Amino acid sequence: MSILKLDKAMIRFGGLVAVNEVSFELNKGDLFGLIGPNGAGKTTCFNLITGVYKPTSGQILFNGTDITGTPSNKIAKLGICRTFQNIRLFKALSVLENVVVGGFLRHKTGLFSALAYLPNSIHETDKLKADAMELLRVVNLDHVAHVRSADLSYGMQRRLEIARAMATQPELLLLDEPAAGMNPQEKEELLLMVKKIRDEHGMTVLLIEHDMRFVMGLCERIVVLDHGEEIAQGPPSAIRNDPKVIAAYLGEAV
Amino acid sequence: MKFWPIRILSIIGAVLGCFLFEGIAHHQSDYTQRLIILAGLYVTLAVSLNLINGITGQFSIGHAAFYQVGAYLGGYLSVNYFKSMHLPPLVWLLVIMVAGAAAAAFAGLIVGLPSLRLRGDYLAIVTLGFGEIIRIKIQNTPALGGSYGLNVEPKIQSIAIVWLLAILCIAVCRNLLKTANGLPFLAVREDEVASSAMGVNVTRIKVSAFLLGSAFAGAAGALLASYEGFITPATFAMDVSFIILTMVVLGGTGSITGSVVSAIFLSYLPEYLRGLKDSSGEPLTLTGGSVVASLIAVITVVAVIRWIYTDGSRNKSTRIGMTLGAIVGGFVVQAVIAAILNHNGKLHNSILVAAVVAVVTVAFLIRSIYASRATSKTWQTGLKGLGALLGGLAVAAVLNTVLTHLFNLNDGKVEVGQLRMVIFAITLIVLMLLRPQGVFAHHEFSWTWVSKLFKGRKGATA
Repeated sequence: MSILKLDKAMIRFGGLVAVNEVSFELNKGDLFGLIGPNGAGKTTCFNLITGVYKPTSGQILFNGTDITGTPSNKIAKLGICRTFQNIRLFKALSVLENVVVGGFLRHKTGLFSALAYLPNSIHETDKLKADAMELLRVVNLDHVAHVRSADLSYGMQRRLEIARAMATQPELLLLDEPAAGMNPQEKEELLLMVKKIRDEHGMTVLLIEHDMRFVMGLCERIVVLDHGEEIAQGPPSAIRNDPKVIAAYLGEAV
Repeated sequence: MKFWPIRILSIIGAVLGCFLFEGIAHHQSDYTQRLIILAGLYVTLAVSLNLINGITGQFSIGHAAFYQVGAYLGGYLSVNYFKSMHLPPLVWLLVIMVAGAAAAAFAGLIVGLPSLRLRGDYLAIVTLGFGEIIRIKIQNTPALGGSYGLNVEPKIQSIAIVWLLAILCIAVCRNLLKTANGLPFLAVREDEVASSAMGVNVTRIKVSAFLLGSAFAGAAGALLASYEGFITPATFAMDVSFIILTMVVLGGTGSITGSVVSAIFLSYLPEYLRGLKDSSGEPLTLTGGSVVASLIAVITVVAVIRWIYTDGSRNKSTRIGMTLGAIVGGFVVQAVIAAILNHNGKLHNSILVAAVVAVVTVAFLIRSIYASRATSKTWQTGLKGLGALLGGLAVAAVLNTVLTHLFNLNDGKVEVGQLRMVIFAITLIVLMLLRPQGVFAHHEFSWTWVSKLFKGRKGATA
């Protein structure tokens, strides 16, 4: 059954059509790649799915319900969470607190009991912190739990962003260039981690990535965008030899 | 868990403590009591603004407007309904406090709405404008006394209630930060897009912050009205908003402890300076010489403290010790220089100008020597210290020329009371230069923090 379906999604910024009638479909448990040259509209696609932008036309379906134009905080509650291309952590907060913010959407205690510091709010806070600590162990950041997140190294910040998104317990996880700026060894670890997220936590993963080896080694299906249009779709082996894709990346033969 | 017994005991303890405090303060002069009440109100205002500005990151500079809404509603209710309600004064105080809080919260809601679309400077302009609209509207409402002001009957003075409100405000903000419910507020401050992507309802968080913050300001306003017995729109002019904002920034944006400490400090400082007396009981006067000497001393001490803290090889307790030493040394320097400068009875600008020129020349000379040869570490720090000292002297001389013209120091003496706002401003400047992130930065008071302070940190080379 399809978990996410883009149906001719289109967005126009003034005269620029950033994403032009793109359609693709993700099945539950997919490791799905979204690639394309710079400016192809990949991140805009993410912004459409997560409700940062409202599509000019077209439809986005999540688990069969129409989520076109739903505000992003509601989309996160429905079960789609993302990371950002340019890391957007809550810099002044500690690593643990960042993850707790991710888990907060399942938090039930009202503001009033928190302001009165009633026992249920204390218990729920402790529980959220314990859950967050558990997640930090998964991404191997538990030893820096109380460090300010801005003080982490780049690779660690990327992993923290993934942990923060996972804390919302999404069905669908969107990763925007998770391997950018990582060294080969870190990429290898990330690859295993993303596989583990799918296999052990049962999340569907859609990721944008520039590193071809990373994408080809990880994803089972790939969509290629160029100038906002979808130019190819299929398994890595087919994408690798698609003449349109090669032309988009390397240019036409003269 | 014995939660409720502890909670009830602590509330009873706070109430008893405040009334006991009032009992003690009652024997003080009216003036002292006034200072205590104003400090309590400013603590409430600063901590509640900190919730909006520091914790949620919504740059609001219209806090006096909420204060004013609470004050006028409280005052109006007292004038018109107190006699017919037959309530004991303290209960009545609580009633108008709640009413003032509700009215201010409603105003906060209205201001909170533009904050959904505006950020930073733009929001600041809107809140500032909103504050002025409220003030001018009240100024033109005859039922509220217009610009002549409103006579509030009866006057009810209660140090205990004022401080209980302050404690409540502190407790609420502290509880918010202690539980997970506070994190979305901080997250909105850090990054709105990311918090929204994590499922945080940004709208709701911002509006809650404005509602809570303005409600406390409104309650404080109601208390002010019934304490003063007379309020005018001028009581809530723009500068009140700025003073509150200064308290928040000076204490460290986001730190409750910082807001409390700087609210007490800043509401007390101008009054302290006003009342300075010399040993014979006369208002303390200064000659030109001692003003200049004080400036030199202050600037030198600041330079020395900076040096103590930039050199990373000391642990915290040594640093604190050295800082205290520097401050004591500052007093000695002040006394010595003042004695020298006052020797003649008068201070001549010409001598000072010559001194400045000499100092600058010497400083440049030393600088060129310093730059031309490889110097040892001790030499460098020594030179830096000397440079700071001479630079301080030069700055003091320049300031002196300005001050002598402003206050006719050359002719004789000046009362410190007249200079108090200048000293106030200089204190602010010096504090902000020393610690741009605020005195407490983002830290909060805790006993572990105190114990860490005295344990010192591990040596950098270890």
